[in-house]
Formats: sequence, structure tokens, C-alpha cells
Amino acid sequence: MLFKSSLNNNLMYKKCIPLFVLSILGLTSCENDDSGNTITDNTITVPATYSFERDGSSTVSFSGQTERILMAEELITAMIDFDNTDTQALLDMFANENTPFTNEDLNASSKSVKSKVAASTDYFSNAAATSATIRTDFETWMMAQVSEVFPARNTVATEGISGQIADGASTRYVNAKGFEYNQLVNKGLIGGLMLDQALNNYLSISVLDEGTNREDNDIDLVEDGKSYTTMEHKWDEAFGYVFGTAPDAANAIVTLGDDDSFLNKYIGRVEGDEDFTGIAQEIFDAFKRGRAAIVAKNYTVRDAQAAILREKLSEVIAIRAVYYLQQGKLAIEAGNFGTAFHDLSEGYGFIYSLQFTRNIDTNTSYFSKSEVDKYIATLSNNNGLWDVTPETLDMMSTTIADRFDFTIEQAQN
Amino acid sequence: MKKFLGIVSVLLMITACTSGDDSNDTTEENQNPDSTSFDRSAMLANWADGIIIPGYVDFNQKVEVLELATANFVSSPDDLSEVRKAWTEAYTVWQRVSMFEIGPAEVVDLRLNVNIYPTNIDLLESNVTNGDYNLALASNRAAKGFPAIDYLLYGLGEDDAEILAVYTGSNAALYRQYLSDIVVDIKNLSSEVLSQWQGDYRDTFVNNDGASATASVDRFVNDYIFYFEKFLRAGKMGIPGGVFSGNVEPNNLETLYEGTLSKSLFLEGLDASQDFFNGVSYNGTSQGESLNTYLVTLNSVKNGVALHSIINESFDTTRASVNSLESFKTELENTPPINFLEAYDDVQRIVPLLKVDMVSAMSIRIDFADADGD
Repeated sequence: MLFKSSLNNNLMYKKCIPLFVLSILGLTSCENDDSGNTITDNTITVPATYSFERDGSSTVSFSGQTERILMAEELITAMIDFDNTDTQALLDMFANENTPFTNEDLNASSKSVKSKVAASTDYFSNAAATSATIRTDFETWMMAQVSEVFPARNTVATEGISGQIADGASTRYVNAKGFEYNQLVNKGLIGGLMLDQALNNYLSISVLDEGTNREDNDIDLVEDGKSYTTMEHKWDEAFGYVFGTAPDAANAIVTLGDDDSFLNKYIGRVEGDEDFTGIAQEIFDAFKRGRAAIVAKNYTVRDAQAAILREKLSEVIAIRAVYYLQQGKLAIEAGNFGTAFHDLSEGYGFIYSLQFTRNIDTNTSYFSKSEVDKYIATLSNNNGLWDVTPETLDMMSTTIADRFDFTIEQAQN
Repeated sequence: MKKFLGIVSVLLMITACTSGDDSNDTTEENQNPDSTSFDRSAMLANWADGIIIPGYVDFNQKVEVLELATANFVSSPDDLSEVRKAWTEAYTVWQRVSMFEIGPAEVVDLRLNVNIYPTNIDLLESNVTNGDYNLALASNRAAKGFPAIDYLLYGLGEDDAEILAVYTGSNAALYRQYLSDIVVDIKNLSSEVLSQWQGDYRDTFVNNDGASATASVDRFVNDYIFYFEKFLRAGKMGIPGGVFSGNVEPNNLETLYEGTLSKSLFLEGLDASQDFFNGVSYNGTSQGESLNTYLVTLNSVKNGVALHSIINESFDTTRASVNSLESFKTELENTPPINFLEAYDDVQRIVPLLKVDMVSAMSIRIDFADADGD
């Protein structure tokens, strides 16, 4: 086995040589790409499960992603823990400071949710100001939960008044405009953390191929003390943001939807809509095939899988945004404000997440930040959800669905 | 014929399968780059004779002035102004030579020895009071250099009177000694590096004029970009601005105790970076072979515009946006510090121009990667 540290000083590539070798590999793989989804290139072996080994050891690792998902879970739980939460506790959980978690392993971790929100290489390495604005949005929601909603725990919510409101058998706690801040944080993180990191960071060519990653992967040069190459690990980290809390990651598809409150859960929800049945398998398969392509040094197939993942995972966000807008519309028409506010708070979070989606044709998000901001301003106008009309919700639904490959009818059940 | 088509398609694939950039940008290198058409050796000579050695000469002189001012101060500590002025001037010139961490400077770890900030006050105070310290120890690097002097000249009290009182109080002799010792430490390191450059190393550097991972150009271009990315961009702005952690960290600003210089030190480093790119001589009066002229020779173009022009414009834009800021400390009091971060974004925009476009045109491999993973 080759180790990077021992080789670093001795490797003297001339760039033209690997380029030439790659071009020949590229020739093979580009041809295969035309044959559709089936892998005809015998050099790529796609395993039945997400299991990859080198010399008998697993090369799959995404513990950092698992930790961040668990941190985010504690955070959203704490946001509705009226008796034990204060502002500082929420901010500490967001930034992992002052040992804020009940899970000691998370306190010991060097990771935090905050440092990876709006932090992808492709979208935010040149946009630190935007990144800080987005992180501040999340903190503002956390602080407002404690300052506005907590004191109104036993107040009846009405127009302009924070408080509680019935949603069938459930009780929702909303701000003066009808929004549940915990839902904004929860659904906003799906885009701001999981989707952005997976699509725009770890599946990004600029990250997968950074520095000498390709050359190292070509000769199976593993990271110091690890069993994986850097490129393999990057891919796994994208996988981890979707499947990182599955009890059996290799067969993560089995428990999909039950493993977290974030991206995993909502892929499961979309899978449960018969109009989209099969999407979960497509996502899982693309992760597997892309990872197998890295093992086979076939970067064209790898990038084709990244494109599938960008398309499908972006679509999940859009479908759920439209779904909740439509559910909210129905509830408003039926006069069920509590139900509507809950749906539309989730919808707000999914709309917020649209700015982190990835259109493979433009390499930008399907909705720009300013478009998202405009939608949110519309929802928040005047008395917010107390005032919002079915027409407005339909208009938003139509615009979102039109940019994707699905209809409102498909998304709304 | 079949074979011919095969060759053609392989050539096509070189373009199709290696343009590994997600963006729509295109970097067009000239079709047949002839590395011999640019004189790397002349560029190395200009770097060594026109920029690096004169830079170290000036730095060494400024450190000598600081040494003298420190000696005057500790012999009669009644006025901080002279030693502070000398510290400011030496620290400013340091920004001109910080990037040259190759050869002699790399051997002695010059940058880590003179500019780890913020300084470790607990370690520093314990060194002072124990009086028994070895400044050559790696563990003492965080308690010496310019940031430690910053603390000793500006941070020992609320005002000048309180600071001066430390140098006349019960531990006066210990503080005087420590201040003198850490200034001498900088002096010894800087004169060691200068003498090596004035000795054999200059020719070693200039004569290693090939095009391989160990050639001087390839190595130093890596060092230059590493400096720009890690020490100028991240160290002086990104980390204090909370770009990576999400938490604004004003205590990680350079010149924490002096309080206002961090912006001008950044700008000095930015000017030094652009001047180096353009091969401007240290005294500013002439220009020689440089990364700029190298790109001109290669006829490197990005999106239809000459790459060297794009890079210079990006430097100019960045300078203007940083210039328009209040002091860094003041900017960081905003939540979030949007203006500061927008200026940072301009700094960041230079990185891929150097680290991707420029090095790819020159066929130089980047030998470091971001360690920012999981």
C-alpha cells in the first residue's frame, strides 16, 4: 500500500504524462457514456451495496457527516424544548461551542453545523458575505424562537400575535406571522447544510479533482494512515449527508426516510409519492456507481453520476416545496390555519433551500438567492401567513414546478 | 484510416475529458506551448536580485533600527514612540518578504518564528517571570516575534503610563530583558537568511531553472500561492472574519493590541503580491521578467481576455475594496461584517486565477491542497 506522506517528496510528475494517460482512459469512458444507464464498461464493478474495500479493509468513511446530522437533530429538538432551552444553548449547538450537546461524542467533535452552512466550494468560496448572511438567518430564527415564541407558549396565536395554534391533534407554536421558526431551521438546513455540501462541494469536480487527487487516485495513493484515497473519501462525504445516519450504511436504501429529519427523510417522502417511486433507488445507485467509477478510475462515469445526483436531489427539494405550498393552500381554503401554518413553514424552509440546488445545465441553482428572498418576502408580507392567498401559493408552485421536470399535480400528493 | 481517426479522437478526448472545471469559464492555452520561449532563468534572476535580496536587505535594516530603538527604550523606558515606530516599520517591511519562505527562510521557519498571532500571553508572561526560556524552542514560537512585541508595546496596560509602569515596576528588568531578547531573535534569524541569500543560495536558486516539481520556479510559485491563500487571504482576513468557522474572531487580527495596523499590513502584503507578480523591483523603479511576462509570452487567454490583465485587474479591484474599509477591528464589529466579507470575496477571487488558470498555463503542479475537510 502506498502512503502519501512517504511519496510526496519523491513524486515528480510532468503534467503531460498523466494528461495523456487520462485522455486514453477518457476515450473508453466517454464512449460508454453514450450507452445509457447500464454500465457496459467491464472495468467498473458496481457492488450490490455501498461497500468498498482495499486490501480487506473498508474504504468508506463519513463520520463527520453523521456527526453534523446528529448535531442538527439535537438543535431542532432543542428549539421546541421550552423548559430547557435558551438562546445561548441554541447558538452553542449551531457552532458546537461550550459542550452544548447531550451526546458527549458530539461535544468532543471538532465539527460544527454552522461552519458548513452555505460553505460549499462551488457556491460560496467567492461569496463569504452571502454565506455570513445565510448563517445569520439561521441564528436570527433561533434567537427569535426564544425571544418571541417561548414567552407566548400559553398564548393563543392570532394575527400579529405569537402563540400556539391547533393543527388537528397537534399544537404548533408560531410567531406573529404564523411561522414556526423550528421548521425554518429544520427545512432550511436541508438546503443550507446537506444539499449544498453534497452537491456543490463534495460532488464538485473542483473538490474531487483538487490538487493531485486524480493522480493519487490513479495509483491508489491513500491518505496517511487511512485506507481510502482523497477522492474516494470526498465522494463518501457526499453520500454521508444523505445516508450518514442509516444503521447499515451499505444497505442504506432499506431504512431510507427513517434515518434523520433532513434530506434522508424527504427523499423517503418523495419516494412514497407513486409519481416519483424509484427516485430513491436512482439516488442510491448513482452514489454506488459513481463510487465504483472512482475505484475504476473512470472519471467520466463518476461525473455522470454526480450529474444524476444533482438533478434528483435538487428535484426532491422542489417537489417538497410545491407539495407544502399546495397542502398549505388546501388548508387555508378549508380554514385550517394551524395546519396551513405548519405546512407553509415547512414550505418556507424548502423554498429557502432552493437557492442551494444545482442545475446541471447552468451549474447554478434553479432559483437564485434574490428570487428566494422575494418569495420569502411575499410569504412574510404584512401579517404573513394569516394574509397569504391561495392564488399566491399557486403562482409560486407553478413557477417552481415549471423549472423542473414535474407537475404540480404530481407533487401535491 | 481507422487508425488515423483513432488518434484524432484521442486528441479530442484530451480536450473533452480533462477540462475538469464545472464553471463555464474556459482557459485557452496557446495550442503549442513552447516552454523554451520564455526565459525562466531570467525571471529567477529578477526575483532574486531585484526583489528578494533587496527585500531582505531592507528588512534586515529595519530590524536593526528596531534593535537600536529597543536598546534605547530599555535603557530608559520613558517614551514608547520611537520603539513603536521602529516596530511598525519593520513589521510593515516584513509583509514584503513574508512570501519568500523558500531556501534559507524555509530552513529556519522564518515566518513561524516571527509572526504567529495572536501571541500566547500566558506563555509569554510565564517566560518573562521565569526568566529561563529558550527562544530557539519550537514551543516558544507563539510567544515571540512581532505579535509578542505588539503585546509588550501596546498590551501591557490600559494606557501608555500603565505600560511604561511595567518597565519601571517590580519586574521591570525581566520585561526589559524579554523585549530585548525577542527583538534580537528576529535580528538573528533575518540576518541569517539574508547572509545565505547573499552567499551561495542565490545561485542555487537561480540555476535551478528547469521545469519540474523541484525546479525553483515550480517550487516558488507554489510558495507564493500558498502565502497568498493561507497567510494573506485566510490569516489576515478570512479567519478573523469568520469565513471558515462562521464565528467572527477579532482576537485573531494581526496587531491585536496596537489595534489599527491590520488593514495597512494586509494592503502591504497585497501590494507585495501584485508587485511580485509583475516583477517590480523592490525599490519600485524597474520591472523585469515575471509571472506577468511569462503569461504574456504564453499568450494565455481566459474568456477572450489576456490572463495577466485579468489578474492585475483583480488585484486592483481588491485593493480598492479593502481600501474603502474602516479599520478591520471596526468592520468586525458589524454582525455579520458584510463589507469586510465582500472585500474578502474580492481577495478570494484572485486565488483561482493564480492557483488554477496561471499554473495551468505554466504547467506547474500545485503541491498543496486545502486541509479543510472532514
